[in-house]
Amino acid sequence: MLQFITKRTATLLAAVAVSSFAVFLIPYVTPGDPVRKIIRSRVAGDAIDASSVQALAQNLGLNESLATQYFRWLGNFFSGDMGLSYVSRTPVVEQVLPALAVTLSLVAMSLGLAAAVALPLGIISGLRPGSMPDKAITGVTQALIAMPEYWVAPVLVLVFALKLPVLPTAGWNDLSSAVLPVFTLALRPISFFTSAVRAGIIDAAAADHVPAARARGLSHAQSIIRHVIPNGMVPLSTLFAVWFAGLLGGSVIVEVIFAVPGMGRLLFDAVINSDIPLAQGGVVVVVALAVGVTTLADFVHRLISPTVGGSLA
Amino acid sequence: MSARLVLADLDVRHATDGGPNPRRLLSGVSLAVEPGEFVALVGSSGSGKTLTAMSCLRLLPPNLEIAGGSIRLGDLDLTRATEAELNKVRGGRLGMLFQQPKRMFNPNRTIGSHLKEPLRLHAGLRGAKARARAVELLEEVGFADPLRGIRSHPHQLSGGMAQRAMTALALAGQPDMLLADEPTSALDRVLERQVLQLLDRERRERGLGILYITHNLATVAAYADRVLVMNAGSIVEAGPAGELLTRPATDYARDLLAAAQLAPVSRRRPASTEREVLVMDKVGKHFGPKRARSALENVSLTLRRGEILGVLGQSGSGKSTLAKAIVGLEAPSTGTITRRLDGAAAHLPTAVQLVFQEPHSAFDPRLTLRASLAAPLRPHRSLTPAQRDERIATAIKEVELDAGLLDRRPGQCSGGQLQRATIARALLLEPQVLICDEATSALDALTQRTILNLLLRLQREHHLSLIVVSHDMDVVRYMCDRVAVLLAGRVVEVAETRDFFAAPQHPHSQALVGASIPCRADGLWTMLDARTHAARAGLRGEAPEG
Repeated sequence: MLQFITKRTATLLAAVAVSSFAVFLIPYVTPGDPVRKIIRSRVAGDAIDASSVQALAQNLGLNESLATQYFRWLGNFFSGDMGLSYVSRTPVVEQVLPALAVTLSLVAMSLGLAAAVALPLGIISGLRPGSMPDKAITGVTQALIAMPEYWVAPVLVLVFALKLPVLPTAGWNDLSSAVLPVFTLALRPISFFTSAVRAGIIDAAAADHVPAARARGLSHAQSIIRHVIPNGMVPLSTLFAVWFAGLLGGSVIVEVIFAVPGMGRLLFDAVINSDIPLAQGGVVVVVALAVGVTTLADFVHRLISPTVGGSLA
Repeated sequence: MSARLVLADLDVRHATDGGPNPRRLLSGVSLAVEPGEFVALVGSSGSGKTLTAMSCLRLLPPNLEIAGGSIRLGDLDLTRATEAELNKVRGGRLGMLFQQPKRMFNPNRTIGSHLKEPLRLHAGLRGAKARARAVELLEEVGFADPLRGIRSHPHQLSGGMAQRAMTALALAGQPDMLLADEPTSALDRVLERQVLQLLDRERRERGLGILYITHNLATVAAYADRVLVMNAGSIVEAGPAGELLTRPATDYARDLLAAAQLAPVSRRRPASTEREVLVMDKVGKHFGPKRARSALENVSLTLRRGEILGVLGQSGSGKSTLAKAIVGLEAPSTGTITRRLDGAAAHLPTAVQLVFQEPHSAFDPRLTLRASLAAPLRPHRSLTPAQRDERIATAIKEVELDAGLLDRRPGQCSGGQLQRATIARALLLEPQVLICDEATSALDALTQRTILNLLLRLQREHHLSLIVVSHDMDVVRYMCDRVAVLLAGRVVEVAETRDFFAAPQHPHSQALVGASIPCRADGLWTMLDARTHAARAGLRGEAPEG
């Protein structure tokens, strides 16, 4: 286990290092000289004087080697100095952290809702595959996949803004403002989670150890509660993490449409405004968190499923 | 305590079969097991033995139903019992041992968690008391460290330990009657004997009645009071063990017996001057962190052209790793394996082929046998589809398999048919060396014998060199010219087969040869005599205790 932890932590750090380096390179690979960009962004339109370019480059350490610059940037970054936003002139960290908090709660609520809905549906489906309830559940959840967020969200906005003004359709103030974005974001995970749980339950119910448990005197219900349902839910832990990681940066559409001030919205704005420091900060934070969540899920998966990578001793 | 199990005229059929003559899977099965009696139910695979046991527990698959007859345990008619009554009986008065113990445990739960179920349901024990009793049970079945045992997960146990844990689980509810469905077929002889001794002790000490399902007549001879022979869903012969085994009345029972005695055949042994086709030099294989776990250590063996070399060893001795290394599925960590083959195909990796242990898992369940057999022909040669079909047809004919089976999927074939198909698949690539890794261990005695004879014939006709990897002394004795004994990854003895069985040198070899008596080859009759003597002296099967 200790070896597993060291290995995974190393992989995690490597992933963050590689992605942060890629992010660090953004201003260098985008057309134009970064120094000139900075000056131009401050003294809009005026001719740029070569000596001030040189002075600023010197001042910012841009004449040093790429590696030195990268490590300084990374050091600053993780000590909380993510630079200043080009647009608002405020520290990036002050924008990223609140946005992160919003997105985390949005994603957590959506996936929590999805799991809460998908577990019973998947279990009902999986215990009696081919039955009427299974067909109904599978049909509906499959239909959800065909309803993308960019279609569901505007429809909900139209309905609740114009016809049925009981829920706010924009902002992120109280719990009621969370209802529509959380619901929209939960639809597709509901569908995927349900089919994963269904498949897991079908597999678990077909295992030889289930009749063996019946032969020990467990009733049908007991054998399902103890041996089928827990085993059938194992695949969900990994899937949950993958979706969590994916939605951290992938809630853009929902956040933009419902005007939720989260990471998706922040990255969207940063890109639209060419606000490179803000985009850099947002992307690195999202990547680090996504990798972290996936690693954590691997640990959990290993704990609940002892045969995964288990020793043969 | 002490209730007898009586089956009277039991019929089992497909629930969906309407019509005037529904196909019966069991018809008119009648048998009785008295308290403290060891009754053996023998028959080839598919004869309905397992169905009989599952009927007693009323755990038939949903598409099957009991159509007539009764099953009584003491005063209770199990065919009429309510679900609640049945749940009390299952694992309580009626215990069950399964064939593949590792697959009968929930992989996500510890052994202790499994043991707590029958203890709570049938003995009313919970918490610390249940835990204490679980430890006690594991100790009784021979766990050296029962405290660690209850914390173990199933995958951490060896096959033998898993079967002991399964035995503890079956005994936890203090059953009157035990249904044992081939519990030792997957185990080697030494482990099989340990499990049987354990059951025999329970039988003597507390009058446990045992219905023991097996295809292994050696087991039957050593322990059973009575033997029932089953064929095609009916009991065709029954009688006291000594009588039935010495004077079988039906042809079927005679065939079963004949198959159980693998008399060594007179084979023309290859001359010692024959070329060496395979040379293993100090082969080692290490696994795990820092390669600390060694599966093979310094193995040096040679195989001559036309020779049949046996590799003997218990579970976990490194036999399969060796087989995989020879075929090239595992690269050895140290040492070299050199092939000295001839002909055009000598340089091809396919010149050495492997016949796998579990025929059912050696085929893709979704493909027809034809597709599975065609697959290896694709990448290597430029054959037209017609030529390919012809090659497959020839190979199928060679292994005496009905061509009609080619369009079936593995799930629709028996173990014996599939094992023939595995051999056909290996032959398609015209190998010069064939490795058989426990190729017949999963088969019943009749099928095993036909497969072994098939291998012998193919060896002769194709001038193959064979390596037979097995834990079964009789198979090795029947087939092989020379024997190599593996112990914990090392070769501890290599000898001519005859010399080996006459006078094993290494202590481990002596233990193996010792445990293999009663031996099917020629020991059955001797052993039966010994049993009669023992019975006269008031002793049973094993050495006297107390």
